[in-house]
Amino acid sequence: MTRLVVLLRQRIRRDRLQLALWIVGTALLAYASITAVYDTYGEEQDRREILGVAIATRTILVFRGTPNGVDDGAFAFFLLFAWLALMGGLMSTFLAVRHTRAEEEQGRAESIAATPAGRILPTTATVVHGVLANVALGLLIALALIANGLDATGSFVWGAAIMVSGIAFLAFGLFAAQLFRTSRGANGISVAFVLAAYLLRGIGDAAGTPSDDLLQVTPAWPSWLSPIGYGQFTGAFVENDLTPLLIPLAFAAALIALVFGLQAVRDQGASLIAGRAGRATAGPVLSSSFGLVWRLNTSILLSWTAGAVATGLLATSLSSVVDQAATDAPQVLETLRRAIGSEASIEEAFVAVFYGIVGVLAACCAIQVGIRARQEEAHGTAELVLGTPVPRVRWLLEYWIVGTIVIVIVLAAAALAGIAGAGSASDPESLIPNVFEAAAAQLPACLVFLGLTLLVFAFLPRATIPVGWTAVGVAAILGTWGPILQFPEWLVDLSPFAHSPVPAGGETDWTGGFWMLAIGLAAGAAAVWSMRRRELASGG
Amino acid sequence: MTTVISTRGLQKHFGRTIALDGLDLTVESGEIHGFLGPNGAGKTTTLRILLGLARASGGEATIFGRDPWTEAADLHRRIAYVPGDVSIWPNLTGGEAIDLLSRLRGGTTDKAAYRKQKERLCQVFQFDPRKKGRAYSKGNRQKVALIAAFATPAELYLLDEPTSGIDPLMEQMFNREIDQIAGDGSTVLLSSHILSEVEELCDRVSIIRAGRTVESGTLAELRHLTRTEIAFVHDPAREAAVTAIPDTHDLVIDSGRVRFTVDSDRVAGVLPELARLEVRGLTVAPPSLEDLFLRHYGDELAPVEVEVRA
Repeated sequence: MTRLVVLLRQRIRRDRLQLALWIVGTALLAYASITAVYDTYGEEQDRREILGVAIATRTILVFRGTPNGVDDGAFAFFLLFAWLALMGGLMSTFLAVRHTRAEEEQGRAESIAATPAGRILPTTATVVHGVLANVALGLLIALALIANGLDATGSFVWGAAIMVSGIAFLAFGLFAAQLFRTSRGANGISVAFVLAAYLLRGIGDAAGTPSDDLLQVTPAWPSWLSPIGYGQFTGAFVENDLTPLLIPLAFAAALIALVFGLQAVRDQGASLIAGRAGRATAGPVLSSSFGLVWRLNTSILLSWTAGAVATGLLATSLSSVVDQAATDAPQVLETLRRAIGSEASIEEAFVAVFYGIVGVLAACCAIQVGIRARQEEAHGTAELVLGTPVPRVRWLLEYWIVGTIVIVIVLAAAALAGIAGAGSASDPESLIPNVFEAAAAQLPACLVFLGLTLLVFAFLPRATIPVGWTAVGVAAILGTWGPILQFPEWLVDLSPFAHSPVPAGGETDWTGGFWMLAIGLAAGAAAVWSMRRRELASGG
Repeated sequence: MTTVISTRGLQKHFGRTIALDGLDLTVESGEIHGFLGPNGAGKTTTLRILLGLARASGGEATIFGRDPWTEAADLHRRIAYVPGDVSIWPNLTGGEAIDLLSRLRGGTTDKAAYRKQKERLCQVFQFDPRKKGRAYSKGNRQKVALIAAFATPAELYLLDEPTSGIDPLMEQMFNREIDQIAGDGSTVLLSSHILSEVEELCDRVSIIRAGRTVESGTLAELRHLTRTEIAFVHDPAREAAVTAIPDTHDLVIDSGRVRFTVDSDRVAGVLPELARLEVRGLTVAPPSLEDLFLRHYGDELAPVEVEVRA
């Protein structure tokens, strides 16, 4: 027991900042969003309208939740629960892999396994640690809701639902850590699982059966496959029913039992899915330092492109549905227009919103290329390359070029997917130039993020990774949620995404785009130029 | 003979920490130069400056008469480098990493010759090039850098503790490769904290301590600095004869063994005496760098800094 406590304390100590940020950040997001929701949709009539719109268009439900009436609590639950569960899910799977497979990969788990703690106890400690983190998250979210004046019972049901779905994801993360040889593989499959859970319940909501008054929806079967779906079945503030949570709990228990079973029989460092033997000689791509940068970033590029293709397909294939909805409920157009800050037609507005998401994906991909430069430096492999006749300036320039190329590829893939999906639209020909323009309009903002990441790399190398991800995360929230939640204009304007040109009515104002293009290019050029005087900053 | 590496009063500060404090180093063309110092003495920092990965805070450094910071890329066409702690790309195989580094150095124009050389080295070092980088042990990562360095010819080899992490048999192979490149007329700067390793390979040695050069010269010139430890089984009947052996220092009789040290350049003179005494269980231990520092500079090396050779 004392050993378990030692291991547990080590985990809590190691994670204290990270988990505190994650848990408090999520609870604050809940608090701030609900305040904003009541400012925007204070009147019951407003809520009736927006629910009617959402149920009519269906796709909005994918990104929201299960409509369950217009009461304060139920309305907030509809808008926010799935998002918060998604955050909790990612927190849990990262936590699970961080303390299991990542430790094994680094060889640290071996030192622990050699002590009387053995091979099993560290996993037990990780389970307890993860459960505690989810209890804390659920509790803090419940308190944030109560602080907003919501009914205590419903708030605790909401918190419990977050906690249970988080524990289910924790169990999956632990399971993935058993399957894969690397933490990268385990994290990849876990993130995919969390996103799939989010999407499945989204499809369940979108395909559900609405009530006659257009205020409630009974989700379809896909929601039954998702821990987040079961969280929604609690109907917090209305039914307040905790029994649906038993199923994700049982799922978690079964998976954790399986994890212990696997852990008991396998070797330290081994995995169910084995690594393959590679090639003995390098292919033609690895003939130059540019080829290396490209090779190091291809898997990143593939995953973000897949996301962009899916988003692009949705953008146009759904626009016909939206067109119909807009005729029935003009409120939809109003909401969409507010999101993009422009007087666009319904199809244009819809395309603009979706390509805004594509822009965020492309920016993330570019940031990851910049971060790769830092990882190469910190890991020591940049030293190997710079020990050969590769000049420092050229070395970073190549990351800049590859970063720009990946942005173009992600945007182009989304545009092509959009055209492929336009077949069902009422007027495909008119949609195609619109799609291309909307995709191209994202380029400047993405270049700003690439330039920013490289600039931080050049002058504050150790901050590259946190600054890169935080910047794009905050900017995405401000740029896509800010206008809907009616944040102050100056705050929204801080986000590059808010300045991306919006194609509307055949005319597009490219001023913001040109400015961002100039800023992005200047930042990137300054970063590359600084390499003339910059030493390698390895370690840390 | 021309000077390949020259530093004068080289300084490097990291914030308040002084890594190099006026380091002088001269390496002539065609020599194998040992760069000796305890861990933390500034060996790696010096090599990184010579390679243009770090910039000197003061003093001057030249390689082939040129500035290693501003002309790094040009100079690297003539240099092969093996870092002290080799990292390789986790998702590239060892073979891919070797090919990449060799191609970047521009040494693969003769494809057939390069392939032959790479295969030979993989065999010599018993290295499996098909595994992914993340699967290699420290010794195997070291081999990637060594094979890449030896696979294509260079005029200057900068080797930072090249044999750390590889086993003694591989060390012999390494020594053979060094002999070969030295035979081709290349210059080698080899850093180490193990005196015997340097003795085996090097023509000249520079010893550094706390960022400064304390000794520089041929091994023969440095012999007088070190002492060799001699020990054998104690025979109480001959105690008087033992204490009478000339040139001995620090004589102790402990756990049934006699132990003393002799200046390394006087060992030959002591041996006949030992033969006459017919000593049993004789061991002659080569001097260690730690002893040298302890004796000449009064350094109390903390145990954590003294690396025991595996």
